[in-house]
Amino acid sequence: MRYRVRHVSKLAYDAPVARARFNLRLKPRLRRGQKLESESLRLSPQPSTHEDQRGPYWVKTTQVGFDNPLETLEVASEFVMDVAIPVLPTNGPAISAVRVEAMEAADLSDLAPAPYLFASRITTMSKPITDWASVHLLDEADILTAVGSLMGALHAEFTYAPGTTDSRTPPEEAFASRSGVCQDFTHVMIMALRAHGIPAAYVSGYLLTLPPPGKEKLVGADAMHAWVDVWCGRELGWIGFDPTNNCLVTEDHIAIAMGRDYADVSPIDGTFIGSAPQSMSSAVDVELFR
Amino acid sequence: MTDQGDTPFVGSGDADLFGPDPETDSLAYYAPQAPAADLYSSSDPEIRKAWHDLARGFAGQCHGNLHLLQDYLDRHVEDLGLAFRMTGDEQERPWPLGPMPILISGAEWEEVTSGLIQRAELLEHVIADLYGEQKLVSDGHIPAAIVSGSNDFARRMVGIRPESGYFISTYAVDLARGPTGEWRVLADRVRFPVGIGYAIQNRQALARATGGLLASIGTRQHSGFFNALRRGIAKPCRRDDPRVALLTPGRFNQSYPEQALLARQLGFSLVEGRDLTVRDGRLFARTIAGLKRIDGLWRWITTRDLDPLNFDARSQIGVPNLIAAASESLVLTNWPGSGVVESRAMPAFLPRLARSVLGEQLALPNAATWWCGGEKERQFVSANFDDLVISSAFRRPITGLPDGHTRPGASFSSAERAELARGMAVRPMDYTAQEIVHLSTTPALTNGRFEARGFTLRAFLARDENGDWAVLQGGFGRVSEQGDLRTSLMGLGDISTDVCIIDPELPAAPEQVLKTTPREIRREQGLLPSQAADNLFWLGRYGERAQQTARIVRVLVDQIAMSGEAPVGSTTVTRLAKLLTNLSAIKRPGKETSFIDMAGQALGDTRAAGSVRNLLQREQQIALILRDRLSRDSWRAVQRDMPLFASGDIESLSLACDRLIERHATLSWLLSDGMSRGPEWQFLNMGMSIERASMILQAAQAIIPGSASADDLSALLELVDCQSLYRSRYLTMPYIARVYDMVLLEPAQPRGLAFQIGKIEKHLNAIPTLRTDGMPEKPLRAVSQLRAKIEGTEATQIGPMTLEEFRADLADLSEAISERYFLQADRSNEVRTKRLF
Repeated sequence: MRYRVRHVSKLAYDAPVARARFNLRLKPRLRRGQKLESESLRLSPQPSTHEDQRGPYWVKTTQVGFDNPLETLEVASEFVMDVAIPVLPTNGPAISAVRVEAMEAADLSDLAPAPYLFASRITTMSKPITDWASVHLLDEADILTAVGSLMGALHAEFTYAPGTTDSRTPPEEAFASRSGVCQDFTHVMIMALRAHGIPAAYVSGYLLTLPPPGKEKLVGADAMHAWVDVWCGRELGWIGFDPTNNCLVTEDHIAIAMGRDYADVSPIDGTFIGSAPQSMSSAVDVELFR
Repeated sequence: MTDQGDTPFVGSGDADLFGPDPETDSLAYYAPQAPAADLYSSSDPEIRKAWHDLARGFAGQCHGNLHLLQDYLDRHVEDLGLAFRMTGDEQERPWPLGPMPILISGAEWEEVTSGLIQRAELLEHVIADLYGEQKLVSDGHIPAAIVSGSNDFARRMVGIRPESGYFISTYAVDLARGPTGEWRVLADRVRFPVGIGYAIQNRQALARATGGLLASIGTRQHSGFFNALRRGIAKPCRRDDPRVALLTPGRFNQSYPEQALLARQLGFSLVEGRDLTVRDGRLFARTIAGLKRIDGLWRWITTRDLDPLNFDARSQIGVPNLIAAASESLVLTNWPGSGVVESRAMPAFLPRLARSVLGEQLALPNAATWWCGGEKERQFVSANFDDLVISSAFRRPITGLPDGHTRPGASFSSAERAELARGMAVRPMDYTAQEIVHLSTTPALTNGRFEARGFTLRAFLARDENGDWAVLQGGFGRVSEQGDLRTSLMGLGDISTDVCIIDPELPAAPEQVLKTTPREIRREQGLLPSQAADNLFWLGRYGERAQQTARIVRVLVDQIAMSGEAPVGSTTVTRLAKLLTNLSAIKRPGKETSFIDMAGQALGDTRAAGSVRNLLQREQQIALILRDRLSRDSWRAVQRDMPLFASGDIESLSLACDRLIERHATLSWLLSDGMSRGPEWQFLNMGMSIERASMILQAAQAIIPGSASADDLSALLELVDCQSLYRSRYLTMPYIARVYDMVLLEPAQPRGLAFQIGKIEKHLNAIPTLRTDGMPEKPLRAVSQLRAKIEGTEATQIGPMTLEEFRADLADLSEAISERYFLQADRSNEVRTKRLF
């Protein structure tokens, strides 16, 4: 499938801010099966400095700096990407085997399992989440079946409720209220998996805005989306699970970055001298491109 | 000579038939339970002689009463300003220092030293690999999980090499000496060598308290180490005479006092994140003379908080994009992320790494460690659970250790064991176990007696200008009842001690005062960060305000004493009370509040923002931030607290005011006397002058709200301290115009308004200008205008409006100064680092 993704973000400050520096994580870092045909990142006003970096984690970071005071900022990311239809395995190794293989992998690179095994700033250890997940993640269970069952339970028990949480809500709170958005679903699932020794990562990306005729529109299509990549052993590697839609990740999902949690892949963050932005908005449009 | 410990009458050297005199050699009665495991009892004869010489010297110094020694030492500790905070402490605590040092022979220390240097080299190699090729991981020498599990592994730093070529240039090691004299490493500290400042000060306090005693037993000196440390950081900098700064998390950090001490001792500037800014890949400090390049930075901030742009965006104490400067030319030490080797799992791999990396055995073993990520190790730990201590490998809360703290296996109940086993089954990589380390003992002097106590010591290493490791000849000793000392600095009930490395054959020269100046001779003041200028200015203002408030209270108390509590027909008392209310020194008084109560409140009421007690507290808080810039005597003077007084008692209130005024006089003299006439002094004095000018105007407004009685005018003269001058000049009762002239307009009258404004103008003239066109900057223009206005005013024309106008001009002047010289943006709007979506 070929997609064109357009993502425009706007910030406005009450009073001009000085020495603004931002990390933009909007350019896709390509995964297996993805091919980039064109890409652009336009800023208004033009930054004084900019630099592209890879990582840390499976991310492309564009660092931009503004030497003049900044009152508004518009960031427009646009790219055309071809996503191959993945071949999804039907069965995998036992969870206990995945655990051992994750520990044995002598690799620290951005797609290795080890960086995604531990608690991070947002995805900390939570006993309620650990206990809740235990019944699904038994040692001898097939990893794909077990993770599927965990995802099913999460989807069934949680209410998708935009507005009840924001990007700073701790996942444990979303878990307690059993509601939230894709970011919360994803964080809770990551915490459940890592607590059982299974490497799990936060993936940010997009979904098609309007589904093809006859197909239902997926939840989360109007904004950036998030889901979980699970490391399913040496042979299978990373497999995507979308707990918001209770489905495996297929060619419908356009991944751009992967990290331990939202903070590693958040599309814009930065530092400046002055007061926080007065308004922030973002619009996403994804269409099939022929 | 023998000393079996259990036979107290077999004494040392000069023993006679009746044994040594307990008054002069109380160490002879020291009887550890296990003499073979005691540092003193198992020492060679010449080292033992040193112990005795020291004990005898102590006894001689306090005439046999060893209790006194502790008091004496405590006073020196207090004089040095030695203090620390426990986590969560509001106030600093006095430092617990025991008089008896730990004595270690030079020969024994040489062996420890070579082991320490080998270990430093090994860690340097491991860190360089993890942030470079990661060959140790891909070859299977280090499991990937013990690296990625560490909170200090900074993936952002992979592939960046330090300008200096070195990842670590300072290193501290916690050491234990086992019962048979073998040394073991308990923990490696590569992030911050916490305790190094206390090691210096413990030595200074002890050396001062005991005269030449330490030198007489051949104690090695500290000074060479600090010279090596300073040169080691300065040498790789690109400029010949580099500017080096120490980056502190701020005064609420547990080890802030030692950071300030180190900065002063090494001649580095003490800076906070907001003093610094990165422009075009270079690091600058914001100073009163504009941006000044920083060449070297010794960071005491954790990697995560170091750079909000590249690490945690929530950090409020870091420097945005510091990493860009570090990857260009800034010498940054220790390198961000080097703390990855502090993981509790790492020691399990170091013996093997030493063999494969260095081709050597580890000369100084660490406490045996098992990382449960390995199947065999996990089985060993389960089988030997009761003989081990169990830790969270990465110090996080984990199943079975919910607070992340280390516990002896034997202390787990069966339910807790089952919980731990459950956790270990699914996340074995989170667990480590260590052997229980037994400690040898040392004679510690407590309550006037020597007792055997377990001890550990922290050793310190630094690279010199050639990159070679120098080891501090001494260390930070800790003795405690429990023995297991793994917390970062001090636990409650611990006592710190000096560590003396002794060469008995070669009595050393007395400990030299550490050189604080670099080799080069300099007269120009180092850079003055804008924030420090700001703080000096406010130190001056608060000190002056406290003093002036005390003066008002004194005049009020005198008036009450003369005319009684409810003076008929006198406005003076009411006006003085009004003045104190205007200054927020008293809360809005109720009808019932008596004037004498108001006087007491203005001194000591914590609820009134402007009470003298609160002003002193503000002054002391600012002094804390400026600690590295104050002389020891100034520091002591500013720490002097509120005098005690009985509220409602005229005599006692008056005395308290006298004390406060004297305290202030002493302090301002010491501050002024101890400071070179550079920008620091200018800002301090400007603060004092602005405050005094403002107080004079406020006093004049409250006391002469149009008309005034002779008593009112006398009170004003008294406040401005020119009562006697007036009498000597006019020999009559005061008149308004004459008082105005003396208090406001006369330029030669040192306590008057005109004189303060003249002083401020001189100070502003002396401060470096940013302009290259020779035009005066805004603050200077503002002060010149005000001076001219005062010069052009006649005393007979002055009315309430004039006073109001002067006050507005003065406020503008103060604003212009802070706008130009201080961190303006940061004062009104904190630097914000926000996650946006």
